[in-house]
Amino acid sequence: MNNLIKTIFQRSFALNFPFIRSITSTPANRIKQIELHQENDTLTVKGKIVDSGRESLLLPEVTECKNKGVRFCPECSLNLHLKHTDVLILSQYIRKDGCMLPRRVTGLCKRQQRKIGTLVTMAHKAGLLHGYKPSWCTKLPNQRYKHKKFNTYFFENTIKLPKAHYKQNEPCK
Amino acid sequence: MSSRQRVQQWATFARQWHIFDCKWQNPYESAIAIVKHLKGLHKPIYHPMNDCGDHVICINTKEIALPGNEWTKRAYFHHTGYPGGASWTLAWELHSKDPVMIMKKAIYRRLGNNLQRRYTMQRLHLFPDDNVPKELIENVTSQIRQLRVVPQRIDHIEKDVIDNYPKIMDYPTDYLPKTLK
Repeated sequence: MNNLIKTIFQRSFALNFPFIRSITSTPANRIKQIELHQENDTLTVKGKIVDSGRESLLLPEVTECKNKGVRFCPECSLNLHLKHTDVLILSQYIRKDGCMLPRRVTGLCKRQQRKIGTLVTMAHKAGLLHGYKPSWCTKLPNQRYKHKKFNTYFFENTIKLPKAHYKQNEPCK
Repeated sequence: MSSRQRVQQWATFARQWHIFDCKWQNPYESAIAIVKHLKGLHKPIYHPMNDCGDHVICINTKEIALPGNEWTKRAYFHHTGYPGGASWTLAWELHSKDPVMIMKKAIYRRLGNNLQRRYTMQRLHLFPDDNVPKELIENVTSQIRQLRVVPQRIDHIEKDVIDNYPKIMDYPTDYLPKTLK
């Protein structure tokens, strides 16, 4: 019954409002700075792609993977075992409000995305990522509620991860 | 006996004063190191009948760290002796009432049950912060090494260190930050 209503609704919707797709020559979502140039009567509008400011500081292994089109993970590619106290690395994978970035942005494999997400949570709970939190949150780590105000550390081997479904020499997925 | 040997003799039998910073340390792990110095187990002249233990000053006991969810799971038992007089206090509740007590209990438990325990505890000086009386701090001659590395908060790291730190993640070209939407 539900499906029937759905199809009828979709059909009527399609008839009344035909779907219009805008045509773009470049990916529409890129970070662009809009530049306006006025010359006499002609106004030129340019979308300039903004640099993230990280290109010059990227590890050579990362750019190598990028050129090859291979996925880069700190553990799979570099055999780098992160801890929750490595805030300088973990802060690269989070937004300004402290949220973990999604996998399509971080470009990690599924296991590493899960693991680094948990490490970020651990670092938040330990109060180590103090600057990265929602703007309405003004409390220092030692002003938090009940037991949360005391220092806590975590063991990385307690992170539960699914079994790797790829072999050891294969690239991660 | 030469003067050097005489000084060595004094130093061997004198009570040393050690200092231990409890910042971000597990009280139960650090109790092992502290008890070794309190009893004098680190000395070659140690014998249970030989009163050769040292003094230990523990500072910053307010900032001890417990792993995982131990602040809410570890309970301290007390019984008044009357019927229904049992009480269980959680670690975080005890620590907010008395920031010294968890460290004291950890060391007391580690010392083991013997007649010397009360006298050994008299050589332990615990302070919730780093304000130690001058008459105690001027005796200190050595420091006990911390067992855990004190983690650094990201807002305590300088901005240019964060900016110039090697990056292992770059945003994809079609990434749209929240502020730009």
